[in-house]
Amino acid sequence: MKKHPLRLLFLVVITGLAFVVQPAYAAKIKVVTTLTDLADLVRNIGGDKVEVHSLATGVEDTHGVPMKPSFVPLMNRADLIVLVGFDCEHAFLPALLEASRNPRIQKGQPGYVDCSEGIAPVDVPRSTDHSEGDVHPYGNPHYMLDPVLAETAIHNIYNALVTFSPQDQATFTSNRDAYLAKLDAKISEWKAEAAPLKGVKFISYHEEWNYFAERFGMVYFGTVELKPGIDPTPRHIEELITSMKAEHVSIVVREPQFPEKVPAFISEQTGAKLVTLPIMPGGVAHTDTYIEMMDYIVTTMVRATGK
Amino acid sequence: MRILAVLILFSCLFLLINTAFADEMSELKEQVKTLTQAVQGLKSTVESQQKEINSLKETSSQSAALPDKTVPSTVVAPASPLASTPPAGAATQEQIKEVNAKVNKVIEAQKKSLPGEFNPAIGVVGETLFSYRTRGSAATGSDRPGGFDIFQRSVELNVAASVDPFATGYAVINASADPITGEANLEVEEAAAQTTSLPWNLTLKGGRFFGEFGRLAYIHDHELPVVNRPLVLDRYIGGESQTDGAQVSWLLPIEHYVNFTAGLGDKFGDPQNNPGVFRGGKELNYFGRLSTYFDLTPDWQVETGVSGLIDPRTVDRGGALVQPDGSTLSEKERRLAGMDFSLRYVPLRDNQFRSFTWGNEVLFSGNRYLSDPDAIPDSGDEFSKSVNSTGLYSYLAYKIDREWTTGLLFDFLENEQNMRDRTYAYSAYLTYAISHWNQLRLQYTHTDHNAISGLRDDDAVYLQWTWIIGSHSHGWQQR
Repeated sequence: MKKHPLRLLFLVVITGLAFVVQPAYAAKIKVVTTLTDLADLVRNIGGDKVEVHSLATGVEDTHGVPMKPSFVPLMNRADLIVLVGFDCEHAFLPALLEASRNPRIQKGQPGYVDCSEGIAPVDVPRSTDHSEGDVHPYGNPHYMLDPVLAETAIHNIYNALVTFSPQDQATFTSNRDAYLAKLDAKISEWKAEAAPLKGVKFISYHEEWNYFAERFGMVYFGTVELKPGIDPTPRHIEELITSMKAEHVSIVVREPQFPEKVPAFISEQTGAKLVTLPIMPGGVAHTDTYIEMMDYIVTTMVRATGK
Repeated sequence: MRILAVLILFSCLFLLINTAFADEMSELKEQVKTLTQAVQGLKSTVESQQKEINSLKETSSQSAALPDKTVPSTVVAPASPLASTPPAGAATQEQIKEVNAKVNKVIEAQKKSLPGEFNPAIGVVGETLFSYRTRGSAATGSDRPGGFDIFQRSVELNVAASVDPFATGYAVINASADPITGEANLEVEEAAAQTTSLPWNLTLKGGRFFGEFGRLAYIHDHELPVVNRPLVLDRYIGGESQTDGAQVSWLLPIEHYVNFTAGLGDKFGDPQNNPGVFRGGKELNYFGRLSTYFDLTPDWQVETGVSGLIDPRTVDRGGALVQPDGSTLSEKERRLAGMDFSLRYVPLRDNQFRSFTWGNEVLFSGNRYLSDPDAIPDSGDEFSKSVNSTGLYSYLAYKIDREWTTGLLFDFLENEQNMRDRTYAYSAYLTYAISHWNQLRLQYTHTDHNAISGLRDDDAVYLQWTWIIGSHSHGWQQR
């Protein structure tokens, strides 16, 4: 009986030491991203120094990732939260940040990595009145569909990782440069491949393709939604069909999180080709990485033109 | 021997740690070396960039005056084969125009946020109920009349902002119509501050707020999935779980979501505690909730919790409660326990268009009363009695598409003052969300009272119109 306290003491000491010694073998940087494209970028820059979790799996609406309590422990332990910004995640991130009880990743802290920093937004609304629908006051947040602007996001992620872990700067720098070289090469490829897209008119379900259209010279004709976040009325669909016919709009883009019925009807009525395009990696099959997703988008768009 | 064994063990551990630190030291030396190289690399990059800047300055001084020289330093022109980056000094008027247009867009975005930077987020919620009930209030026990009724249930002003780096604050001020007189009744429903940076996963909330109990007690009327708050929450809690007090919430530091909340308050729901002349700790309300969550599949979720509330010595809360037989009850102790369970289908891909919720809550009330059969105080016939009663609700909500949701609600209630007095209610509803900020709900409710209640069965049809202007965000509790 007398031996027990001594054994207990040994156990306590050893367990305690195990806890003390463990951090010396540098745990990975815990990064939570809101969307899968950002997770892919973090993996490419952080390499084996980071442990990355994305809240979205790829199939969700970027503005409507379900707020699951299972995200809370992940965010509670995160060193960095990486987000798109421009209020893209306004419907779920503020509440999750509040629930996470993690002061390191709150807005304004170094752990809050807003990838939109340094990006000039398009379509900044003149009014944020709800009569214009669910508008984003800081401008359209879907800049990740422009691979050139994705490079700004890469720089923001790189800076955040270096700030958090300066001792790993050499690794991050070499990873970033390697990834940028790969992305630059792909951008040149996409530019060449997308040549037939110049001047091609298209519509989409949600206003997600402004940056893509600007980059590849397409004409963004309109949206199936009446206003952002507001489903179409029969009158809007009718007017859209009439104007699409008059203006020879040739592509209808449907993002996978939106129902197919109305875009298919518009496509049938106008003769425009209906394509389903992901808005983040994992949105459709074979788009597990950012580069694979952009490959898929450019190729599908070009095929849709029939050129 | 034991001392020797301890010494040996500690020596071994010391050696182990020392080795670990030695390894670390050599690793650190390596890192310092790498860092030095990196700094040298950076130095040479900065030098070459400085040269480039100088050459650009020279070029720009030679070129024509620019239309707008104000270019915020925040705008980064990304380097890329596709980016239209001209060679140094070759900027044309067209390209400058393009850059200016982009800069103006950023300024436009900043203009929107700057004036409001010091203002809290402000929103207003309005809720009007149009209804028809087959029986008058004397037969239904409701505080609303029978027949046609139009009731401005709430005009709610919501204000929220950060207090400082350590706390946020919010207030909800409601100017609803008084159910009896119809006069606007201004009430501070909530006004509380909540910490944002306490250690050990703690948050502290203080002020007037809806204390955490169950699933729907701390939700505002307009955010409920149905028109009226379930009967059991109305009777046992007194509507919303409003309290003037403090609540501490602890997220357990484990990989699974478990949250524990405990609080104390001067009141909990309605009616208020009578103030009394002197109150010790026993007159306060103590409440708590333990909740957890499971992902059954990526699309199916379960959330469950247990809650408790105790007011060890209520000071005649609600006054003398007159019973159908003319006797009175005075509440002396209030005890409430609850269990809640929600099963949800929230498809990842199209949850904006389809979802399903099955929400349930069962409450057990165990109050102690002083019963006065002749309703004459201190006449000698008073006796103490405890009443144990149960109530529950269960609802289904099925989202058909972005605009339409339909569902059913079942209510069961044993009167907390007389458990043999039972009420059943059956409701069916259809919600049409014209947009996120504008919603109509049509609900039919049949209420069944038993004979002991002295009330009569009735049918009611409600049309609820809810609208929101200004800022509106769903907090964690309203998810």
